[in-house]
Amino acid sequence: MEVIALVKHDCETCATLAPALEAAAIAGAPVRMVSQSNEAETRAFAERVGLTTVPELDEGLALSERLDPEAVPAVVLLDGDEEQDRVEGLHRARLEALFAAAGATLPRDGLPEIKPGCTSITQEPEVAARLAAKRARAAGRIRARELDLGALEDPFEALHQRGLTDGLPVVPPTPERVVALLEHTRRDPQDLVGVVPPYGGEATVEKVAINAVMAGCAGPELPIVLAAVEAACREAFALHGLIATTHPAGPLVIVSGPYADEAGMNARGNALGQGNRANSTIGRALQLVARNVGGGRPGVEDRAAHGQPGKVGAAFAERLEDSPFDGLAQDRGVPADETGITLVAAEAPRLLLDQLAREPEGLCASLATALESIAHPKQRLAWDGLVVLGPEHGRIFREAGWDRARVRDRLFALTTSPAGDIVRGAGGSPEGVEERFVSDPDMPVAKFAAPDRILLAYAGGDAGLFSMVYGSWAAGEIGSAPQSASVEPWR
Amino acid sequence: MSCGLRDVLELESLDTPAVLVASNAFVQAADDQAQKLGQPEIRRIFVDHPVQDRTDDELQATARAVVDDVLGRLVA
Amino acid sequence: MNDGLVILDPTAERDEATGRPLAAALPAGTGARIALLDIRKPRGDVFLDEIERLLRERGHEVQRTAKPTFTKPAPADLRREIAEHCDAVIEALAD
Repeated sequence: MEVIALVKHDCETCATLAPALEAAAIAGAPVRMVSQSNEAETRAFAERVGLTTVPELDEGLALSERLDPEAVPAVVLLDGDEEQDRVEGLHRARLEALFAAAGATLPRDGLPEIKPGCTSITQEPEVAARLAAKRARAAGRIRARELDLGALEDPFEALHQRGLTDGLPVVPPTPERVVALLEHTRRDPQDLVGVVPPYGGEATVEKVAINAVMAGCAGPELPIVLAAVEAACREAFALHGLIATTHPAGPLVIVSGPYADEAGMNARGNALGQGNRANSTIGRALQLVARNVGGGRPGVEDRAAHGQPGKVGAAFAERLEDSPFDGLAQDRGVPADETGITLVAAEAPRLLLDQLAREPEGLCASLATALESIAHPKQRLAWDGLVVLGPEHGRIFREAGWDRARVRDRLFALTTSPAGDIVRGAGGSPEGVEERFVSDPDMPVAKFAAPDRILLAYAGGDAGLFSMVYGSWAAGEIGSAPQSASVEPWR
Repeated sequence: MSCGLRDVLELESLDTPAVLVASNAFVQAADDQAQKLGQPEIRRIFVDHPVQDRTDDELQATARAVVDDVLGRLVA
Repeated sequence: MNDGLVILDPTAERDEATGRPLAAALPAGTGARIALLDIRKPRGDVFLDEIERLLRERGHEVQRTAKPTFTKPAPADLRREIAEHCDAVIEALAD
């Protein structure tokens, strides 16, 4: 039988109990007083309390971790490895009984009947996090190389200088922060999420979590980020080409389903703008994975002539409660009761203002003008379009009972132009379709390759007769195809 | 250009000398990426940028101007 | 906390690749079978048509081929096929 007493230097109850514990030990009781504090603190404690011996130190807090008390003093009766009894805090009668069970006596002089204990050091958030990180490393859950940022270095500057940021400061990805973020997925941190171009770096769940910490994710966003990374690494998304192109497009993440709310996303006012942590960090995490795991950097591999603000990161949630349609991801195959993402290689959005249409036909006519001008009005077939309908516009379709397919088909039909209008030279612009492809100037030429190349989503604030229109990068088989995926496998 | 560097490198590892012709907007990028891919000597020849707005005559003249350089990279 | 901060490496932790091999150049003087691999960006075909004409003029054989798209690396079986049937490759025109 052995009695272990865990104490902390700044705990008054430990100070009250300590002399009695020492006296019991001197009289032959099998009791060890073990301090959770450091050497200097423990020494000072012993002196203050008048102990003849400095209590031993709990190295690496191993014992405290094993016994896992909530409060100290924590007096634990062990028979070999098995715990028989414990008292946390000072309860004189129970402590006497515990010592008796160990065949010893606890001197009761000067001990109050009851005195509450203090929080065990293992419950202090910083310490708990540090121990969790140590455990994760020991268990192989965390395998990333540790980088030491010098004691004199500002960690934010150090991360900039190592080329690990997108130009904005990143949150230093300490083991504690990464381990805490990993609580938000059941997946094994060493599971492979995707192989990231252009250099084929392997994005494990752990590597994604590291970059998600850097992006500023709070935690619940992680499953969404994981789904987005997996989708981005699919061959059909052509991420290598998207990174290397001179075109400004970047990956845009659209989240459809109840988990968007749980992750704290914004589907309403200013959803495409600033101010919401999840919206701002999900796309950023994906881009940091592309940069740090894939190795694609502006000026070297990333050849965008201008780029656009969405390349820092772009993500928003669909506003499903009053949408005329089901979720975009659900329309594209994610089960109706699951949350999904749709990843699109997209430019920055343009405004489509229509403050007068009150019927679907009129609104479609306006939307068609915006869609047709994607890239260049005379550029046809190579591009997809994405419309983010604002609620005041969406209401028009909802009240008229137009579903997504109907709107899409109408927009496809309305975005045709006579060949004579879009041929090279027409309107004074050398751009356009080559003359040899135009036999009949009246022949209608579609803007899009098919109706389903026009994506329709729904988000935004209650007021504003606006929708937003995105053009895509090179689309279809020659380029990038939008990818949808469920978030559920990553939760 | 980035995908092209990969292609020529893979062809080289199949024992087939391969040269990439790219516009000279990509000289530095090609140097950097060849380095990162582990073979700074990836065979590459550059022509004037831009390409998209050149007439057929101009492109043919460009071809005539570089063909011997291109061959020179492939032949000992 | 006087010690410096410890962070986890966000990169793929791959050391910079080295020593990727280059094939031997073709011996001088003989006619070779040269693949012209079109990356399929517009205008590249005009350039390659002229290159083809010039290579034939210089006594080489030419095989024209193309990637499915310029947006992705060439499929592995296309590369293998080219390597099997040709002595050298010219890939063009990346802009």
